[in-house]
Amino acid sequence: MALSGTRRRAAYLFVVPAFLLYSVFVVYPLFTGLTYSMFEWKGTLRSTFIGLSNYSHLFTEAFRNELLSALGHNFLLLAGTILVQNTLGLAFAVALFAVRRGKRALQTMFALPYLVNPLVIGYLWTLLLSPTFGPVNSLLRSAGLESLAMPWLGDPKSALLTVILINTWQWVGFPMLLFSAALGGIPPEFNEAARTDGASSWKVFWHITLPLLRPAMATVTILSFIGSMNAFALIYALGGSNGAPAGSTDVLGLLFYRTAFASGDVNAIGTSSALAVFMFAFIFGSTLVLQRVLRSRS
Amino acid sequence: MRRLAGLAAAALLCVTAACAPSNSNDSSSSSSGSKVTLSVWGWGPAENYQKMFDQYEKENPNVHIEARSFTAATEYDTILSTGLAGDSGPDLAWLRPGAQLQPLVEAGRLTPLTTEQVPGLKDFDKNVLRAATGDKDGKVYGVPFAVQTLQVVYNKKIFADNGIQPPKTWADMTAAADKLKANKIIPFAFGGKDDWVLPIAASIFGTSQWGGDAFLADVKAKKKKFTDPAFVAGIDELNKLKPYFPDNVAGVSYTDAQILFSSGKAAMYPGGLWELGFFGKNAPNVELGVFTPPAPAGGEGLLPGFTDGSYGVSAKSKHQAEALKFESWLATKQYGQLYTDTLEQLSAVPGVEPKDPLLKQVSTTFGEHGAAYFMNEFAYGNPSSQTVFSKALQEMLLGRITAQEAAARLDKSVATWL
Repeated sequence: MALSGTRRRAAYLFVVPAFLLYSVFVVYPLFTGLTYSMFEWKGTLRSTFIGLSNYSHLFTEAFRNELLSALGHNFLLLAGTILVQNTLGLAFAVALFAVRRGKRALQTMFALPYLVNPLVIGYLWTLLLSPTFGPVNSLLRSAGLESLAMPWLGDPKSALLTVILINTWQWVGFPMLLFSAALGGIPPEFNEAARTDGASSWKVFWHITLPLLRPAMATVTILSFIGSMNAFALIYALGGSNGAPAGSTDVLGLLFYRTAFASGDVNAIGTSSALAVFMFAFIFGSTLVLQRVLRSRS
Repeated sequence: MRRLAGLAAAALLCVTAACAPSNSNDSSSSSSGSKVTLSVWGWGPAENYQKMFDQYEKENPNVHIEARSFTAATEYDTILSTGLAGDSGPDLAWLRPGAQLQPLVEAGRLTPLTTEQVPGLKDFDKNVLRAATGDKDGKVYGVPFAVQTLQVVYNKKIFADNGIQPPKTWADMTAAADKLKANKIIPFAFGGKDDWVLPIAASIFGTSQWGGDAFLADVKAKKKKFTDPAFVAGIDELNKLKPYFPDNVAGVSYTDAQILFSSGKAAMYPGGLWELGFFGKNAPNVELGVFTPPAPAGGEGLLPGFTDGSYGVSAKSKHQAEALKFESWLATKQYGQLYTDTLEQLSAVPGVEPKDPLLKQVSTTFGEHGAAYFMNEFAYGNPSSQTVFSKALQEMLLGRITAQEAAARLDKSVATWL
């Protein structure tokens, strides 16, 4: 598309405000974060240039253990999100596609929880699941399911799973909306043609609908990846900054929060900046790779 | 609609503009012309502090003290370090004890205090002052204002109904707990889900076991380790007391434990002195008592405690002389008495007698059998030893590791910075 000189100038003029805002609020902090990570800090005072020492602190034994365990939990969260949340989202989208009356109302209902702040949701669920006063456990007990009335968030074996389920409860509407939009974009002729050839509805779904949903799945997967790697608010509300119980819900976001704000370490800014740069590089790099792999498939 | 929004915005602007002069000019517009405003930042309810500071203003009419409170305790540290680094910071501020004070000290944000400037500092206990001291330069940066002690709070009525006295021996305590349990009352309201309470509980029941300050001094001098049998036995008390805690104790939150006690479902609450204020407000019908768990080997138990915070002076304050004069007042008995009477907390100023009988009892016990709260002395490192040990104790309560292993983790973490 060729633009004349004046039009091009006008186009640049329109881009300038967004570019300035982006530079000030995204590019500049990213760059300062990178420089912060190469200095030793005395409180909020930048001290001497120490190169990569802050990064090597991330890999000292005590820190590395926390880092690896947190990263592992991020990946479990991702697996849980893909298996539970995205599968349910797809199921809801397909089910709702067939619904004729009240479709909008149902869609809105499923999507409603993600309009609520995750901190509020986390707080409400800790109350619901409290082993001493929570209604969930008393409900289970009165239904004769005594064995299921357990400290859901207080037992390391069930805590992360509970987090995944609550997260799903909040976010399932999002993949559902994306899949709904993608389903709406599939021409009905494909479906009808397959039906005329005698394919069962399961076969139609498996061989026609699902392959055509691939681009949507790629988008949902990438967004789930970014969401799971950056998880913080809900987990913080459910298990505090140490990822209680016994660090079983600890994730990178919490580790960063502890390192930066809760350690009381004199060099907290240096270490936490290094961790932030590491997280950014890891998430950005993985997203690029993931995108390339998923795009080439679809 | 848009016009309405515009009007609203204009109205808002008018309001803020009208407010501004009365706020910023009150120091310069006063008739004396030289009235100085000192701003004080803290994390407690500002109106209580303003009440105490009014007393100082009466005696020093040329000074106006402005208390400002940041109730979000976790964000206070960030707000303060940013405030002190810029030009919009306070003249004086509450400082955290020990490890969390050091970033401000090393950044040079605070004015060091000498006994010439603040004569009252001479009379303070060395252990109390240590919490307001720079680790590297050994200088004092704040006037400590509060001491918190860690003990067991109990419900007097439940004790009387069950024919129980505050225990004199460890066996008395477990016998009382057995009796309560048989009567379907939870002996100790305690929850380990919020893991910061775990070192507190460990020190309430264990300090007498490992022997308080002498042990901590030996660890600091590297003569002893936290894997010492005495320390392991101390934290193992939490395991032994587990039958007297609520079911699934590691899943019970801090607030759940508070509710168990204030609703009368539990008879005792191991916790900090600040809980007296909380229960006084939220369970006014529960008559409270306090005791220190007796030493397991017999005799009086040790009462662990720590300096909770101190008043420091910003190095950037333009009113150093006035701020230091105010600091001197904060170190006097007059302020200490005002503090303890207004807030019903223990003052850090030496020789202050609280009027409240419970506080008086705690203050006397702390004077005779006090010990330093071990965790505050060992909260350094990144990841901090406090985080590491809180998590280890949680795993111990869950039965995943033994007391020996939990102690070994603390030892290993402390070795990274000691």
